[in-house]
Amino acid sequence: MKEVDHEDGGDRALQERLAKLAGAIEKKQADSSESDRRQAEAAAVGGETGKAMALGFRMLAELIAGVAVGAIIGWQIDQWSGLSPVFLIIFLMLGVTAGFWNMVKLGSGKTPNRSMDADRKDRND
Amino acid sequence: MAAEGGIDPIHQFVIAPLFHIGPLPVTNSAVFMIAVLAAATFIMIIGTSSRALVPGRLQSLGEVAYEFVANTVRGSAGQDGMRFFPMVFSLFMFVLLSNLIGIIPYTFTVTSHVIVTFALAALVILTVILYGFYRNGLHFLHLFVPSGVSPILLPLLVLIEVISFVSRPISLSVRLFANMLAGHITLKVFGGFVTMLLASGTWAVILAPLPFAMTVALTALELLVAFLQAYVFAILTCVYLNDAIHPGH
Repeated sequence: MKEVDHEDGGDRALQERLAKLAGAIEKKQADSSESDRRQAEAAAVGGETGKAMALGFRMLAELIAGVAVGAIIGWQIDQWSGLSPVFLIIFLMLGVTAGFWNMVKLGSGKTPNRSMDADRKDRND
Repeated sequence: MAAEGGIDPIHQFVIAPLFHIGPLPVTNSAVFMIAVLAAATFIMIIGTSSRALVPGRLQSLGEVAYEFVANTVRGSAGQDGMRFFPMVFSLFMFVLLSNLIGIIPYTFTVTSHVIVTFALAALVILTVILYGFYRNGLHFLHLFVPSGVSPILLPLLVLIEVISFVSRPISLSVRLFANMLAGHITLKVFGGFVTMLLASGTWAVILAPLPFAMTVALTALELLVAFLQAYVFAILTCVYLNDAIHPGH
């Protein structure tokens, strides 16, 4: 009889303790989810800056590479054909066009740049 | 005074043979490439060897790198692109670790030489061309033919598309090399300002902390750029591979 009583009392104490701990956990989770959210926000802002910088680097490189490639092709054809500077001028213009065309494609989102967005979706889920 | 004192911001990029193995000279560039490979191998093999359910420091480093590159590949090249994951991951780790190791003083930055970055870019573009023709045959050439254009304009647009394709390895390599080169030269120049001001022996000595603070800030920026350039290299590799897998606009 005494054993059962003791068990009963122990059970009740255990239940109380569990309830208390659950409350503590909930409180802690609420706190940490708040700080988590703030951290995620800070990371998103950082990601935004990083994304913008990456896009800027890409834009600049596209422009320079387009012009450079056009100039090199035109110069080589000039050397080969002896019609200097006809092809240099033509291909330089084509190169500038190609560079700007790449930048437009990059800016209008025709070139896939989805992974950052996918990242963000993962974080939100 | 700078010329006499020997503050030369370009000197850090000189490639010199350190020792010889038989007839083969081993340069500082080669030594740091081997160091980068060793670091990457160490992180991935030692880090994942314990296979703990709750990862330790090295293991979580390896897992974060894997997840990050895997998400980039899936996002830009689709599930089909995952067959190129080993290549993209190797490129990403090589570029990232060479950039990061290069920030440490007295080290050599492998990626600050255009020949190294161009070799990496050429590897990417050759893979794109070979795999594009292997998978799609001549349909791969539709990459250069925009759809829905009047036949009069078509030759011009094809020419522009071809130039833009040829410019890809150039832009890929120049972006990486120019960023690392410019960043390291800037750091060195500001560091040189500190010593020049301190050695001037006039009231200008009190100005020395200003370029020093700039050096600290620039080092932080270089850390961001080092990571960002590796990320851009990886994502552009994926974008170009996506063209090889799904050509035609």
